[in-house]
Amino acid sequence: MVTNEDVQRFITAIKMASTYDFSDYSERSFKRRVEKLLIDNHMDINQLSLKISKDKFFLEKVVRDITVNTTELFRDSDMWITLKHQILPKLKKNKSIFIWHAGCSSGQEIYSMLILLHELGMFEQAKVFATDINSEMLESSKAGVYKYRFNLGYLDNFDKVIKENPLNFEETKDVPYEKYFDIDKVKDTIKMKEFLREKVVFRKHDLVNDGNIFYSKFDLVLCRNVIIYFNNKLQNHVIELFNNSLYRDGYLVLGAHESILGPVSNNFDRTKGFYKKKQF
Amino acid sequence: MDYKAVIIGGSAGSFQVITKIIASLPENYSLPVILCLHRLKHVRSGFVEALSIKSKMPILEPNDKDPIKAGKIYLAPANYHMYVELGNRFTLSTEDVVNHSRPSIDLSFSSASYNYKRKLVGIILSGANKDGALGLKAVNDSGGLTIVQDPSDCQVPTMTQAAISATEVDHVYNTRKIIEFLLNLDS
Repeated sequence: MVTNEDVQRFITAIKMASTYDFSDYSERSFKRRVEKLLIDNHMDINQLSLKISKDKFFLEKVVRDITVNTTELFRDSDMWITLKHQILPKLKKNKSIFIWHAGCSSGQEIYSMLILLHELGMFEQAKVFATDINSEMLESSKAGVYKYRFNLGYLDNFDKVIKENPLNFEETKDVPYEKYFDIDKVKDTIKMKEFLREKVVFRKHDLVNDGNIFYSKFDLVLCRNVIIYFNNKLQNHVIELFNNSLYRDGYLVLGAHESILGPVSNNFDRTKGFYKKKQF
Repeated sequence: MDYKAVIIGGSAGSFQVITKIIASLPENYSLPVILCLHRLKHVRSGFVEALSIKSKMPILEPNDKDPIKAGKIYLAPANYHMYVELGNRFTLSTEDVVNHSRPSIDLSFSSASYNYKRKLVGIILSGANKDGALGLKAVNDSGGLTIVQDPSDCQVPTMTQAAISATEVDHVYNTRKIIEFLLNLDS
């Protein structure tokens, strides 16, 4: 059984050995992942702390395992349908559209967005940036290869978002999957096409420590199901960063069950999970 | 005993029981009622609406960090784990499934027992897997009160039987007795 002191010692060990700071993560779920980490590595907290201080590769692996990397193609189809019919059309007239996927994990959301942009004829004008705290996750984002069977269910979401029109159920658009990714049932993979993969600028970025590392502001920042792992204080810090990184009238997109609390919420108009930065 | 919260876990066969329970609770029930129910992967919306038809209390799918208040029913959102955080707030998470489930009853119950200690009532209803057994044990270990729906009253008894073998439960009740008990808690 892991105690609160154990969790504190773990956080301190990581802080001493790197720039990562997990002090302001949501406590309950973080503690549970520390427990799981100890079980998976067959170590107690002392052994783990020692190895973290001596072995950089191990430290990166620990950071990968302690952060949560669940993501799906077109996760929450309702959000994508709103994006498709209400948000992106407003940006279409812009010469360039700057998009930041913050905390992109293994990248399924980036490819969902690229596919949608392409279908709306907005692919060329989009400038797409993606960041994650973990370099291994960035590598798998870049590779754009996913388990076919695991993602099978999410192809329904592709159909819902890309092929169907929610305003007219009789209208469907025939978009073959092969336009955007290759399915190999024997190898059990879905591989994103190269023209999608090479579109994205990937950078390592830590929402706790780093500011806006791109020389640009953004029309859209997507950060979905990331700040649920942070406590209120860190959530506010990160929302402040997004607020400063958005153009006026730009949109911050959070997860379906995330919201902005505290004074910074006054800077945004909310419709569903979309936060529009106000004009001041 | 002044309890601070009621938490209820259920899976296959629990929908009708849950509906009966929440239909019986008065509008200003003096405790928060936290529901962690497994649902079919493709039935993600409409669940709150279906439950709300019979309920006098408001039913909410909480956002991350929402405060937990008396007189409200909170339903774990589909495809998220729901923890109770110290300071009486929810934290959501998309971590991997636990016991093939997200939300996992074990995670909600364990975190709630950590926050409320002996001031928690934990109830396990009908279900087809073992999720919730360890969670109910955590409630018991922290001194909270544990209730399991009588397996003979369950459409699917697996979950309640698993809970009964994992820990010494305080009461094994049928649906009617569970409702009576909850109404007696109201102050």
